[in-house]
Amino acid sequence: MPSCKDITEHSSDYLDRNLPWWKRMGYWLHLAMCVHCRRYVDQLKLTIDTIGKSPEATTPNVSQEEIQAIVEKMKQSTKNKDG
Amino acid sequence: MAHPTLPSDDELIPRLLANDETSYAQIVTAYHGLMVHLARAIVGDAIADEVAQEAWVAVLRALPKFERRSSLKTWILRIVSNTAKSRLRHESRTVSLDESLEESPIIDPARLKPNAHWASPPAMWHADTPDALLASTELRRCISDALATLPPLQRAAVTLRDMQGLSMEAICKILEVSESNGRVLLHRARSRIQMAIEEHEGQ
Repeated sequence: MPSCKDITEHSSDYLDRNLPWWKRMGYWLHLAMCVHCRRYVDQLKLTIDTIGKSPEATTPNVSQEEIQAIVEKMKQSTKNKDG
Repeated sequence: MAHPTLPSDDELIPRLLANDETSYAQIVTAYHGLMVHLARAIVGDAIADEVAQEAWVAVLRALPKFERRSSLKTWILRIVSNTAKSRLRHESRTVSLDESLEESPIIDPARLKPNAHWASPPAMWHADTPDALLASTELRRCISDALATLPPLQRAAVTLRDMQGLSMEAICKILEVSESNGRVLLHRARSRIQMAIEEHEGQ
């Protein structure tokens, strides 16, 4: 059975369902008995969801002008290459 | 997964190789914001846009040699990541991109007993939903500061996974790290943010 330290070290793998089944079983058993680790893993899950909703998670906006400027640069770079 | 407004890679790549301007505009519209997001994670706000623009030129230059071992999107993001890493190394703004892989414990050892079980377990938080946590201006700033101080590759991993929802397989290709290192990067990043929230909640 994993220790509390093991739980903290592999909690992303547990939440992302990336543990082999036998490790997952040990993990699950530990969580069934340890209220502290249940809270730790719940808080990690909440952290992940919060990161996804934070202002930093928003994909930067790109204006039409910026797009056009980049396309011009791309055209220029291929002309330079061809020329 | 390709962007929903784009044609398939099979259709798009020959058009890009033929210097089709409409396809240039389509792909820039679909991916430039994401590219800036990734570049910001690695090099910071100030030069992220410049890095993403530089990456587009590199994409066109390398496209004839693209071997299709990944999707076009993953391959483009790998070029962004490499362009950003080169800029960081060039400007010597960081000692090591891999700082995150050094052995430092996820949890402060003082919080654990010698038998590796909790001595100082996590306390309850005042909120149990992201919206409730983010309603606090102070906590938003605390999360923002914690994200800003992550090592570049950790910040890139959390940006691509938890903000952009990319698969770990794609992220490892983009950042050119092994699957296990990619998972370590992601877990360390998440844990640092979790600790920042916990410290704030404990105040």
